[in-house]
Amino acid sequence: MTDIPSPVAGGPPGPVLAAPAARADRIVKEYGRGDTKVVALNEVSVDLPAGRFTAIMGPSGSGKSTLMHCMAALDSVDSGRVFIGDVDLTRLDDKRLTRLRRDRIGFVFQAFNLVPTLTALENITLPLDIAGRKPDQAWLDTVIDTIGLRDRLTHRPGELSGGQQQRVACARALVGRPEIIFADEPTGNLDSRSGTEVLSFLRNAVREMGQTVVMVTHDPVAAAYSDLVLFLADGRLVDEMSDPTAEKVLERMKGFELPGVGVR
Amino acid sequence: MLKVTVRNLVAHKVRLALTAFAVVLGVAFVAGTLVFTDTMSRQFDQLFSKTGKDVAVQVRPKKVVEAEEGAAAPTVPASLLPAIGRVPGVARVHGGVGGFAAVVGKNGKVVGGSGAPQLGVDWNPADKDFPMKAGRGPVGPGEVAIDDRTAAKSGLRVGDRTRIVVQGPPQTVTVVGIVDSGNLMGATITAFDQRTAQRLLLKPGRFSDITVAARKGVSETALRDRIQRVLPSSDYEAITGTKMRDENKSEVGRIMSFIRTFLLVFAVISIFVGAFIIFNTFSMLVAQRSRELALLRAVGASRRQVTRAVLGEAIGVGFVGSTVGLGAGVGLALLLRQLFNAIGAEFDGGLTFTYKPVLWSYAVGMVVTVVAAYFPARRAAKIPPVAAMRDDVAMPQRSLRIRVVIGSLVTAAGAVLAGLGLGGSGLAWLGIGLGLVFLGVAMLAPVIARPVVKVLGAAYPRVFRTPGRLAKQNALRNPRRTAATASALMIGLALVSGINVMSASAKASISRQVDKSFAADYIVSATARVFSPAEPAQAVRAVPGVEQVTALYSGRFTVGSKAETFAATERPDDLKRAARLSLVSGSAELGGDGLLVDEPTAASAHLQVGSTIGVRFPDGKTASVRVAGVYAKNPLVGSRVLALPAYLAHTDRPTGNGLMINVTKSDAATKRGIEKALSAYPDLKVQDQSDVKKSVQQGVDQFVTLLTVLLALSIVIAALGIINTLALSVIERTREIGLLRAIGTSRRQTRRMIRLESVLIALFGAVLGIGIGVVFGIGVQRAVSDQGVNVLSVPVPTLVGYVVLAAVIGVLAALWPAWRASRMDVLKAIAFE
Ligand SMILES: Nc1ncnc2c1ncn2[C@@H]1O[C@H](COP(=O)(O)OP(=O)(O)OP(=O)(O)O)[C@@H](O)[C@H]1O
Ligand SMILES: [Mg+2]
Repeated sequence: MTDIPSPVAGGPPGPVLAAPAARADRIVKEYGRGDTKVVALNEVSVDLPAGRFTAIMGPSGSGKSTLMHCMAALDSVDSGRVFIGDVDLTRLDDKRLTRLRRDRIGFVFQAFNLVPTLTALENITLPLDIAGRKPDQAWLDTVIDTIGLRDRLTHRPGELSGGQQQRVACARALVGRPEIIFADEPTGNLDSRSGTEVLSFLRNAVREMGQTVVMVTHDPVAAAYSDLVLFLADGRLVDEMSDPTAEKVLERMKGFELPGVGVR
Repeated sequence: MLKVTVRNLVAHKVRLALTAFAVVLGVAFVAGTLVFTDTMSRQFDQLFSKTGKDVAVQVRPKKVVEAEEGAAAPTVPASLLPAIGRVPGVARVHGGVGGFAAVVGKNGKVVGGSGAPQLGVDWNPADKDFPMKAGRGPVGPGEVAIDDRTAAKSGLRVGDRTRIVVQGPPQTVTVVGIVDSGNLMGATITAFDQRTAQRLLLKPGRFSDITVAARKGVSETALRDRIQRVLPSSDYEAITGTKMRDENKSEVGRIMSFIRTFLLVFAVISIFVGAFIIFNTFSMLVAQRSRELALLRAVGASRRQVTRAVLGEAIGVGFVGSTVGLGAGVGLALLLRQLFNAIGAEFDGGLTFTYKPVLWSYAVGMVVTVVAAYFPARRAAKIPPVAAMRDDVAMPQRSLRIRVVIGSLVTAAGAVLAGLGLGGSGLAWLGIGLGLVFLGVAMLAPVIARPVVKVLGAAYPRVFRTPGRLAKQNALRNPRRTAATASALMIGLALVSGINVMSASAKASISRQVDKSFAADYIVSATARVFSPAEPAQAVRAVPGVEQVTALYSGRFTVGSKAETFAATERPDDLKRAARLSLVSGSAELGGDGLLVDEPTAASAHLQVGSTIGVRFPDGKTASVRVAGVYAKNPLVGSRVLALPAYLAHTDRPTGNGLMINVTKSDAATKRGIEKALSAYPDLKVQDQSDVKKSVQQGVDQFVTLLTVLLALSIVIAALGIINTLALSVIERTREIGLLRAIGTSRRQTRRMIRLESVLIALFGAVLGIGIGVVFGIGVQRAVSDQGVNVLSVPVPTLVGYVVLAAVIGVLAALWPAWRASRMDVLKAIAFE
């Protein structure tokens, strides 16, 4: 995978880097037809900076998940273009998209992240196994030590707590050194302590390993872990905020919850 | 609650359709068998209601000894005719002749045979059963009339000359008439004038029976009683025409019910296998819907209502399956008719429909479905209402330990019953025992599954990498499900491989027997089983190079109340060479009343050289025979050899089943010489040792093929079961498969994963099935080893072939589910709720 720029080279966060890790160019996504037509994304253009932790926020139904799915090669757009690095996703067939996901993208979902029949370690190395690649042992060790579950590696997901499961999912997303990791409400199902574990882990991956992470969240506290917050409303990008704090985000969110704007 | 049932039936159309299909196949088998045998019975009934419809009373010999198949039956003397004719109320009296006679067609081959009788009869001008179609009735030697179907098949027309094979020298005759016989179901009829018929088929002055037509107003029973009074001895009896016709029919009924039972056994096997699938499908559906069912309970549905809702679905599936199955059964009946026609039966006209197949189809289809769904339905009711609030619902399940205990007990009980069945308590016990063994092993299978699947799939992760590892773990994930799916396949494969072990053993035993006792260079036998060996033997003796020809006659007598078969030959001493007969004591000089017995017979009847025993022959006469010698057990000769004069004295037409020929040099020229000498006997064939082996083994192979074809349906049903299980598993694992796809598993890899799981399940079924089959086959071989199957042979290559077949079934069964899995919408799969 020589064409992948090493995410490790990131270093401490500075101002926005020259090349974004992923880019959306006026993408439109519509569901349904006629009366039931919903415009989930309405000409959204975003740059997701490399080596940064980006959060996406917005009221329910504002199109956050849809944006993530479209950018993560899980779904197609109706118009506009999506780039991972300099690859235009809209021009790839299913086979290439699958390969792209496998080799260049990592995922953490809100729940059901792990294959129940595999052990924690097997789940972590699953993307590499599927690709038929050997894991880089040193990197694997680093990742495992970072999630702090070395003594639980032979356990099945059913034997792990929710927070532990999500950390395993994060490790799985990291281990292949993808260019970008997408996480859709990774802490949505967790209590605050487990949530903190996962968020710190993701932030560390960005700070220490230079990983690019994009996360959808409803929680201002979670958003405060990020470097940049993008606000969506009604399928449009409405605002962004650098170096967020929980208070600032909460303040900004209140603005959306005025009557007439989509409210959760 | 009915709404819930109906909604679910609609929501799970595809899965339920697959389940219903399992019902369809089983029911189709039952319905097809019943419709087909009904049709057959009616055609035979029609045939027999035509024959002998004017007969008021029949006089016939009392059966003392059932004659050997194809051999001449006992007769009545012509001298009875005048006395019967004088009985008041008798309108006409006729001496009938019946025996074996086969027509040689234009192509030099014998017409008919292979199960259907080849009848020779006397021409009775007064008989209106079969009207003349062309020509006239035969009036002297050298003239015959034949039935129109035989005429068509043989290519003979009125005026043509041909040969007729009888038990004696073949006759050259002219066809003078063709009768309109209607459908004889493959039988052939050759009519001679009465005198010729007596001479060729029985003996001058004898009849097979005497039939009487009554004057108007005289009842059959009254006439029968009057005639009975004039019969000279208790050797003959008079029966009413009605009874005669009924006996003819019931004979056919017996054959029909045998065919019906034979086919129904396979139908029952199919249904049994189908029940596994129904059980499994409903278990999975209930497990998948446990949340929803718990919700029903939470909002106030009672356990009974939940059970009823699930059983309601079963009734729906059973009803649809039975209806479609009934329709498919009619198709199957047509197919069966085709099949039987292909092997010589002649069915024509439409199928016969009675209410019975309809009744049975619905009864079987619905009952089996409901019974199989009962246990899952009860389990559904046990889902606690709180399960609706929980994320992951575990189905309430009984512990595996109880299962092991019950499973072991059922298996053991089944094995004991099957053992008793083999030991002679009847085939029904064997069937029930085997059924229990299958059930028991199916109950144990979830426990066995873990280690066996681990071993079978040991190489999976290495060879197929991640998809292999996932497949293996998926197969292990729910051992009950894997076990139930595999068990369905197990049954068919167990029976097929058991049959293969038996047939291989039978073939090996025959081969050894032939090697051991077959000392003749050539053996001559008849297609019609028995023939009159004297003249052919004479003809062969004249062939250059032929040293010794031994004609082996066979007959029966009763000792006490038991009918026994014996052999007879001109010079018993020749048997020493021709059949490797080895005398243990006494001599082979039999004189006029000598008897040789084999050692087991001598031992069980406490006989030794010099003992005398009283026997009764089929002609009703008794005689005393003297044991002249005892010989070592000899399968070719049988257990008794009687002096030829004693046999000839009590039989009208001596018949046998073989000539044994020893030559100076066994080569093609000698064989050709023998064949040439026998060219006048188109029904005889000359075989050497390997021909005999081959033809017997071919017979065994044909039978095995027939059984395998009939069992194939149960294997097809099992394959459906695998499809069903996999399809349901795929739906169940939607999220997981979506996740795998999201992180980069290609469609090919997804398909491979499902396929490998399927193969693993199928292989597990094959291992179980072949294991049981081999044990069962060995058991049967042991049980019948004293009846000649004394060599055990396990056909390893064939069994390996079945393992491969199972793997192929696995691959095929996975095609559709794998395709579905690979097409799964990734987004839907990972959507939260
Ligand atoms: N498969 C679909 N079919 C039709 N409409 C859809 C589908 N998926 C999403 N939508 C609609 O698109 C819009 C955006 O949905 P999306 O899931 O992106 O929202 P979200 O911002 O992730 O909301 P939440 O915070 O509740 O997860 C919503 O109005 C939703 O109803
Ligand atoms: Mg969402």
